[in-house]
Amino acid sequence: MKPSRAYDPYWMLLPTLGFLLVFFLFPLALLAKTSLFDWDLLSEPRFVGLENYRALLRSGELWSSLWTTLSISVVVVLASMAAGLALAIALDRPGRFVAFVRSAVFSAYLLSWVSVALLFLWLLDADVGIFARTFHALGWTSPRWLGDPAFAPWAIAAVTVWKITGYALVLFLAGLQDTPQSVLEAAELDGATPFERFCNVTWPILQPTTLFVATTSLIASFQMFDVVRVMTQGGPVRSTSVLVYAIYEQLFLDLRVGRASAEALVFVVVLLALTVGELWLFRRSEA
Amino acid sequence: MPRPLPRREFLATAAAALGPFGCERAADRSQTQVALWFSYGGRNREVLEGLVRRYNAVQAQDRVQAVFQGDYFEGLAKLRIALAAGTPPSLTHVVSEVVPYLENAGVLEPLAPYEGASTLDVLPAFRQEQAFRGAPPGLCALPFNRSTPIAYLNRSLFDRAQLEPPRTWAEVRDVARAFTRRGGESRHGFGCPIDWWFWVALVEQAGGSVVEPDGRISLGDEAGVAALEFWQGLARERLMKVPTGRDYNAWEQINQDFLAGRVAMIWSTTAFVRYLEDNARFPVRAAPLPAGVRRAVPTGGTHWVIPKAASAPEKAAAWRFLRFMLEPPQVVDWATSTGYIPVTQAAVNALSERGYYRVHPNDAVALEQLTVASPWPWSIRLFRVAREIVQPRLERVVFAGADARRELAEARALCATEFA
Repeated sequence: MKPSRAYDPYWMLLPTLGFLLVFFLFPLALLAKTSLFDWDLLSEPRFVGLENYRALLRSGELWSSLWTTLSISVVVVLASMAAGLALAIALDRPGRFVAFVRSAVFSAYLLSWVSVALLFLWLLDADVGIFARTFHALGWTSPRWLGDPAFAPWAIAAVTVWKITGYALVLFLAGLQDTPQSVLEAAELDGATPFERFCNVTWPILQPTTLFVATTSLIASFQMFDVVRVMTQGGPVRSTSVLVYAIYEQLFLDLRVGRASAEALVFVVVLLALTVGELWLFRRSEA
Repeated sequence: MPRPLPRREFLATAAAALGPFGCERAADRSQTQVALWFSYGGRNREVLEGLVRRYNAVQAQDRVQAVFQGDYFEGLAKLRIALAAGTPPSLTHVVSEVVPYLENAGVLEPLAPYEGASTLDVLPAFRQEQAFRGAPPGLCALPFNRSTPIAYLNRSLFDRAQLEPPRTWAEVRDVARAFTRRGGESRHGFGCPIDWWFWVALVEQAGGSVVEPDGRISLGDEAGVAALEFWQGLARERLMKVPTGRDYNAWEQINQDFLAGRVAMIWSTTAFVRYLEDNARFPVRAAPLPAGVRRAVPTGGTHWVIPKAASAPEKAAAWRFLRFMLEPPQVVDWATSTGYIPVTQAAVNALSERGYYRVHPNDAVALEQLTVASPWPWSIRLFRVAREIVQPRLERVVFAGADARRELAEARALCATEFA
């Protein structure tokens, strides 16, 4: 449809543009400006140029938080997608029991993050948690799941996977149920094994679903905060200090507004890069 | 289908519903409203709110409204944001380490000119000039919930084993070993949050000082290393339960481990005396912290402060409330309901005269420890040193087995460059 006047679409876009300007672009500009100052909200802000970025790099905090976030996110995305897809394939059939299992798996996704974190705080207790007791029963020494820097990030990742697998399951189920039966039957008539049918028919059809699940899970795991706040507070030894928690810590606990802003800006850039990458992948898969 | 409420009828109903609040607001206009921001949770919160209700009931001039603001650090963050926004509370309380920082920023109301400030009978260890080494003259903070770290013992276990509270570091190790059990019903002999406050206690006990009299941040030099290696050894042998989590989450977790019988002895704050006594299924015994080469403890807890930016009537009202809170009945009620140290001499005398400490010996432990309490240095950077430089390294040594000497040397070097 061609607008009667060339500038009409722009008028119509104004409310959305205004919203974006006030709530996204202006705060982003403010963030960029604040990141150039040394400020504790009490004394006068002092212009320090790029010193906040340099300090974050010098202390290793930026790389360490970024690395922790990326590592946990990769594990969360891959594991939750693999588990979600496996469960979807196993549960893509009629029956009351199957429906019950589907609901049970998805129910974890509906729980609040804080409840899940508190639950796992007890389950992962190094002395009386169910995992520690299993280790003891087998005569092994239980690792300190949340108290050992080598285990804590993976414990956090595992809790997140448990929580969001239901989300991947539902989306993959929808994808599987959209797969045309006629194509699968044709493949079967041609003598394709179940594995070959999955690789050559189901999996290509599930590509857009996979991309969507991967993107949304990645963004969700990048925004991980509650589970870290409740279970480890970024410790031990900053091993679970993901970017969002590190920003919170800089701002609210260490009272450094400039460094928190610098870290937040890096976070925005990383998320932006990931989103652009996802868009590129999406368009390529559509082409 | 329900009949839609006509607009006039709706407004009349709304006005009737809001009427009582309107009347109350009209009555409140004659009172000075005092916004009190506090950070006490659980039982301590109930006690404070009870004292606030008492104040509001016994006088009509002011109305104090107590608002919970999260833990100490969250409360401090909100205070800074409120100060920056120009909407500070009339009164709040902050931890010792940040008093010099706030005073240096010029946001605290000087309290010395207020009526009765010079005659407050605060215990010597809690007077500003003695609570802080090198404090400038003047008064900007008043003590209320003050504490020291103490040891809590599961008396059933200790009586059965016929063991006494440890008086030295070596005895701590022996006791921890005696009570530690491995396997299904595992138990640790000792538990302590890996937290700056307890490490400072160990440094002082080892004969050191975190900040030297000349202002150099030494982190205790050799004493700091000895303190950290003491912890590291206990954790490595799994004699010490090291709670996961940081800040007050770790404190709460070690409390729960103690209450559940999973740890025979913990170090925590005297603020939990009543809470642990009331919730343990075994008798709880409190004991002083052991000596290294000497006995020593830091003090903890918070100080009342009045933001300078609050309005003059609010500040005057806040001061009246503070005077009330420092009267013996309030100090006594606060201390006996929580476990915090009574901060005025009159309150201590009142409790001693009525034989309170004979009946409740656990409450006397922290009070007695005041004789060996070390003042905090008046340093505007101490809380940054604690949070940003020392705390992560304490964790690295205890949780990840890093070398204590190297970590503290690195921390000292960072203090010298970052805070030169």
